[in-house]
Amino acid sequence: MTWVRTKLALEALAPGDALDVRCRPGEALENVPRSARAAGHAVTVEGTTIRIVRA
Amino acid sequence: MSEGGASRRGFFRDLASAVGSAREVLAPDAPPPEPPPPPPDFGGLADAEIERYARQLVLPEWGTAAQLALSEANVLVVGAGALAAPVASYLVGAGVGRLGILDPDVVELSNLHRQTLHFTPDLGVPKAESAAAKLRFLNPDVVIEPYQVRLEEENAGALIEGQDVVVDCSDSFATRYAVNAACCAARVRLVEAGVLGLQGMVMSIKPGRTACYRCAFPVAPADAPSCADAGVLGPAAGVIGSLQALEAMKLVTGVAPAVADGFLQVDLASAGFLRVHAARREDCPDCGKL
Repeated sequence: MTWVRTKLALEALAPGDALDVRCRPGEALENVPRSARAAGHAVTVEGTTIRIVRA
Repeated sequence: MSEGGASRRGFFRDLASAVGSAREVLAPDAPPPEPPPPPPDFGGLADAEIERYARQLVLPEWGTAAQLALSEANVLVVGAGALAAPVASYLVGAGVGRLGILDPDVVELSNLHRQTLHFTPDLGVPKAESAAAKLRFLNPDVVIEPYQVRLEEENAGALIEGQDVVVDCSDSFATRYAVNAACCAARVRLVEAGVLGLQGMVMSIKPGRTACYRCAFPVAPADAPSCADAGVLGPAAGVIGSLQALEAMKLVTGVAPAVADGFLQVDLASAGFLRVHAARREDCPDCGKL
């Protein structure tokens, strides 16, 4: 569900805007960056914070 | 309240007070806490909606805009039989705003092999009511309106008024032409379909913009057999009805081009899908003047 919520939050942003997603260590921390990159967004991960810049 | 209860309440009140005092003692010069970040904007979708529709919301083609468009749509399903079962189930499951479903008949034993919204205890129950009962269980957030009525030329206009999309799941050419004429007159988008044996067809119609059902089929075939005469396999109706549901969702949301200006001919014996072109006809009595 984390990626679904992340995708919907990204849809509300303008291209170039950034979204920080804080995840507990685990599956979402691996899946969200992968799905975000697959959707064409720029992604950086620092610890448990995922920064996604909307494409 | 017992004395012990009052005593426990007093204990927790004292404890809370002590914790508050401890905070002040431990961090007397701490800056005021930062206000919590604003909640994420999910486009107006509630948590329960995000969870219910997660598998479609996550699709690249779908998303908040498509979900909201569907949730605001009024769709009328003509017929509550074999084609209507997947049509209504998928539209209601996906979160259409309001679904009207009309059928004049009652559930019969010979319906049950293919009309998957009706069960054996429903024998004798009006099909529209039987279908509505299942659909309300499927998604209580959708407004379901059953009508035990036969759509005919005389009442078609009134039944179709206010609809965003009509999905024709009837089993007679007379009804199809009546639905087509009324949808063209009201400029209501329409998904037509038919199924017999192991074959079927699906066609989306945007009145005034794409070929209508009568443009593609100017006259009804003189010797077309009915389902009762020629038979139909349940999964064949399921495939065609599923395609109809998908077409309706495309028309409502615009997430993909609909099968318009022609129809999709499906032969499930050979697993063949053939796209057949049809053009608008200037002399079409239903849409030629639009």
